[in-house]
Amino acid sequence: MAKKSVVGEARQIQMAIELINLGARLQVLEAETTLSRERLLRLYKEVKGVSPPKGMLPFSTDWFITWQPNIHSSLFIEIYRYLQAHSKVDGIEATIKAYRLYLEHVTLHEMDPVLTLTRAWTLLRYFDSDMMKTTGCTRCNGQFVVHTHDLHERYICGLCAPPSRAGKTRKAAVLQAAQATT
Amino acid sequence: MNSEQLLEQIREANLNYLLLAQHLIRQDRDAAVYRLGVDEELADLIDKLTPAQLMRIASSNTLLCRFRFDDRVILDLLVAKGEKRAISSAHAAILMAQQPAEALA
Repeated sequence: MAKKSVVGEARQIQMAIELINLGARLQVLEAETTLSRERLLRLYKEVKGVSPPKGMLPFSTDWFITWQPNIHSSLFIEIYRYLQAHSKVDGIEATIKAYRLYLEHVTLHEMDPVLTLTRAWTLLRYFDSDMMKTTGCTRCNGQFVVHTHDLHERYICGLCAPPSRAGKTRKAAVLQAAQATT
Repeated sequence: MNSEQLLEQIREANLNYLLLAQHLIRQDRDAAVYRLGVDEELADLIDKLTPAQLMRIASSNTLLCRFRFDDRVILDLLVAKGEKRAISSAHAAILMAQQPAEALA
């Protein structure tokens, strides 16, 4: 085994802290850093003040296809791809940077950050393993997240043709009622 | 507004734009590449411009920054308002991220 570099470890801890603050689950930290599980556990407790959530990561690819998550994941993927194509950033750092830009967009427009960092990370793994890809909408030419093995001929995205109940949540109704009274 | 004032305003806008670009690049190069819509090579060059060079570049009768909604669809999405505002902005961002970056030929 190569000798452990102290500076390298410090950098890893720094990155782990950043990931924890962005809401990463322990599994993400284990995969992306070389720190031991025990250290990551302690770090997590120190940063968040609570034990990390237990259990499996969300593993459904279908989640990314549903209307609102699809918009958010497509936005994240496009930012990520832009960074990959035009800057030198790579690996988990690219994920973090793209996720920050995504969060920025979402907060600016007062949307809920539907896509968590862990989900974003999982999505990239699905892309790597060819379970998901993007396909072009035939109306707006935008690229959207789809299952690799579905049929995508004449695909129209959820934004060009929203399903009839899309976005009609209880929260939206309350907001609208509030606007109507003022 | 006479043409002299107009030129003055263009110069100021150009200078502000260049300074902001440099600031963004120095703070976080990768995010700046996304925000400015340029590629890394061009970002490097902008970063290296000296103040004197910035002044010379800014003194022009044309604006240096370009419109990014060179597409009817994106423009319509960006001007959306009301309840569709948030969703349209996401749609526009998805489309704009796919546009090619400004790069050196």
